[in-house]
Formats: sequence, C-alpha cells, structure tokens
Amino acid sequence: MNQQATNSAASQEILRIENLHKRFGNLEVLKGVNLSVRRAETIVIIGPSGGGKSTLLRCINRLEEYQGGKIFLDGVDIQQIDVNKLRTRVGMVFQQFNLFPHMNVLQNLILAPIKVKNMSKEQAIEKAHLLLQRVGLLDKIYAFPEQLSGGQKQRVAIARALMMDPEVMLFDEPTSALDPELVGEVLDVMKNLAESGMTMLVVTHEMGFARDAADRIVFISNGVVEEEGPPEQILKQPQKQRTKEFLRRILE
Amino acid sequence: MEAFYELLKNFNFLLIGAWETLKLTSFSVGIGLILGTFIGMGRLSRYRIINYPCTAYVEFLRGTPLLVQISIIYFGLPQVGIQLAPYPAAVTALGLNSGAYIAEIVRAGIQSIPRGQYEAARSLGLTHWQSMRYIILPQAFRNILPALGNEFITLTKDSSLASVIGVSELMRSGQFVISRTFQTFSIYFGIAFIYFIMTLVISRIVRYAERRLSVG
Repeated sequence: MNQQATNSAASQEILRIENLHKRFGNLEVLKGVNLSVRRAETIVIIGPSGGGKSTLLRCINRLEEYQGGKIFLDGVDIQQIDVNKLRTRVGMVFQQFNLFPHMNVLQNLILAPIKVKNMSKEQAIEKAHLLLQRVGLLDKIYAFPEQLSGGQKQRVAIARALMMDPEVMLFDEPTSALDPELVGEVLDVMKNLAESGMTMLVVTHEMGFARDAADRIVFISNGVVEEEGPPEQILKQPQKQRTKEFLRRILE
Repeated sequence: MEAFYELLKNFNFLLIGAWETLKLTSFSVGIGLILGTFIGMGRLSRYRIINYPCTAYVEFLRGTPLLVQISIIYFGLPQVGIQLAPYPAAVTALGLNSGAYIAEIVRAGIQSIPRGQYEAARSLGLTHWQSMRYIILPQAFRNILPALGNEFITLTKDSSLASVIGVSELMRSGQFVISRTFQTFSIYFGIAFIYFIMTLVISRIVRYAERRLSVG
C-alpha cells in the first residue's frame, strides 16, 4: 500500500473509512461507507434509524466486525492493531450509559486505566479527580450509579472513556435516553470536549448540537453516506432529496 | 418414652454427624462453585470446542441419579485403577454433581446482565476475562445468590447419599445409632429434624447476605 502518499496527502487525517460493508445475516446494514476524519474534527452523524449510523461507530472500535472495506486509524488498518489496544485509543459513550452499577463513580473510572494501562492507583485517582471536575461531578465521586440522574450518569460515562486518553471519541446517541431537561448538561460537556480539540464522531438527533458544535455533518441513509458538508450547508441547503426529507421530518 | 430417651442420649453423636454433613456439603459446593463458574461461562462460549463439552457435562450430570454417580466413583473407578477413600469419593461425586447445577445457575446469572455492561467493559480495552471477572461475574453472583443458597440446601440433603459408601455424616451416624438401639422412629425423626434445622439456618443466612448485598 502506498502509505506515504496517503499520509502526506492528508497529514491531519486520523480516521479513514474506505468502502465499509457490514452484514447482519442477510441484512446489509453498511453498503460501502466512505469517510475521512481530520484530527480535532467534530463529526455529527445523522440519518434515519436503521440506516447504519450506530453500526458504523461500532465498527470503528470493532464492537462489530465488518465483512468488507477498511478502516485506518492514523494510517494503520485497525485490523492490524490489537483490539484491546485499539479500544483504548478509540473511546465510546453509549446511549444507555452502561456504568457499572456495582461500583461507585471513582471505581468506574479507575478500573480500566489500572487494569489495561497499568496506571498506578494513585495516578488513576488523581486523573479521575481532574476529569470529574471537568464534567462537573467531583462531588459525586463516591456515589453509586443508581444515585445519579441520567445526565449525571452520562457525564460520568464520558469521564470514564476519557480516562484512557483516547485519540477519538465515539458517541452513540448519548442523549437519546435522557429526560429532555437533562440533555443540555451532557451536550455542554461534549461541546467543551470538542473545543478542547478532541476528535469526535457523534450520532445524534440533536440538531442544535449539530449546528453549534459540528465541523461537518454526515447524513447516512440506507447504509451509505448520502451527503456530507458543513452544518450551514447540510441544514440550510441540502442537495439530496433524502436529506431534505429527513431534515423536514426531524425539524418539524 | 424410651425412644425419646435414646434420641437424647445419642444426640451429641448425631450432632457430630451433622457437623460432618456440613463440612462435606461445604467442600462439595466449593468445588461445584469453581467448576460451575467455568462450565457456566463455557456454555456461553461461541466456540463449539468449549461450548459442546460443557453442555454435555451439564446434561449428563443432571440426567443421571446422584446415587449412580457416587457408585461409579466409589465402586466403579477402582476397576480402572482409581481408588478413592469414601470421603474423597463423596466430595468428588457431590462436587461434580453440584458443578452441573451451579453451571446452569451461573449461565442464567451471566445472561441476566445487560449486554451493554460487557460492551462497555470491552470498549474500555478490558479483555474478555477481565470483563467477566470485574464486571459481569460480580453482578451475576449478586443476582444468583438466592439460587446458590437453594443449591446449597439441596446438596445438604443430597449429601445423605454419601452414607451408602460409608462416610460418617449425619445419615450414617443415625443408622449407626439405630443399629445399637433399634429405635428407628425416633432416631430417623431426629435426623430429619437436624437436617431441617440446618437447611433452615442456611436459608436464613442466605437471605441475610442477600439483603446486605442489595444495600451496598
């Protein structure tokens, strides 16, 4: 492969998805997705449900295996990277938070750094303090997940993912399970994160967030990238019929 | 009246047998827990080479009588050159047997934990084993504690079968007393009473542990 040419052509590129195909049995969910993500870019992925948005994210950290195409992280095919190592470099935040209910907030945060990255406990606790402060939940450090609101849980989940110092963060509908009044606090944390230079891929229906925080909006429908571009262009002057229909339905 | 007197006179002897029953059961459940945890996980493996043997194990040990299993291990194995004393033979048979039942309990326990827990653990870079050990099994065990308590109670009663190979647990102790006193009714009733008290106490302990854990 001509890696040098690829690197010099887009030295800022951290993630590259080429002709990605994913099938669940007979159901083809991704039918050749192409996407290039630059470092520090925030990509918001929108599109009808069942269109393959979540599946695309889950392929990037290999929670799903794919049948065709390639994904490159910093120029290296992710199939060539140890899967557990890959996952420390690509963090993920889930719709259902998935905090570990038998552990308090601090334990949720420090488990993986200690076990996976061999970080010392003291170091991990120090880092947890910093990140909890950043998401505004330092006072909940010894709380158990069931004592937190949905918004607080998701902010803890974001902090937990950040503990691994990921290069890319994937957000799979992070606010879809939240009561409306709790969505804002999570989106604020994500906006700060985006501004701090984190590379982010966010699957969401929050068009306000897409408009304010996204560098680029990617519209995925029927397993392909139908249209992509800066928020103003996609939201105001979508070119494709499918995009127009989707936006009309969602903005109503 | 004499029947009652003989029971009282030999009650201490029976209690020693009960203590042996408790030890025998505890050892066996200990083995069953270790075995059952691995076989229960193995039952959920997507690799047939792990999955099939584990399933076969569970099916075979649940599908044959414990008395036959004890007989195979104590009377049968010596013919192929493996001679076990009564006590180790009983622990082996009871342990293998409870391993099968506990495997099913563990499997159900693991399946009761939402898939997202495992995915979240893996997405942080934890290996399959680390995810099981730190995330899935601790939650699963909390859920299956009542079922495990049940298994302990069942095995306490089933351990009486070890009497047929001469392990001096409660049942065997009772039979020994009867052979001297001929008081079948009172002694067997006394044995039943002691088994009942033991299982009652165990179920109370389990219920207490359950409540403690659900608070934490």
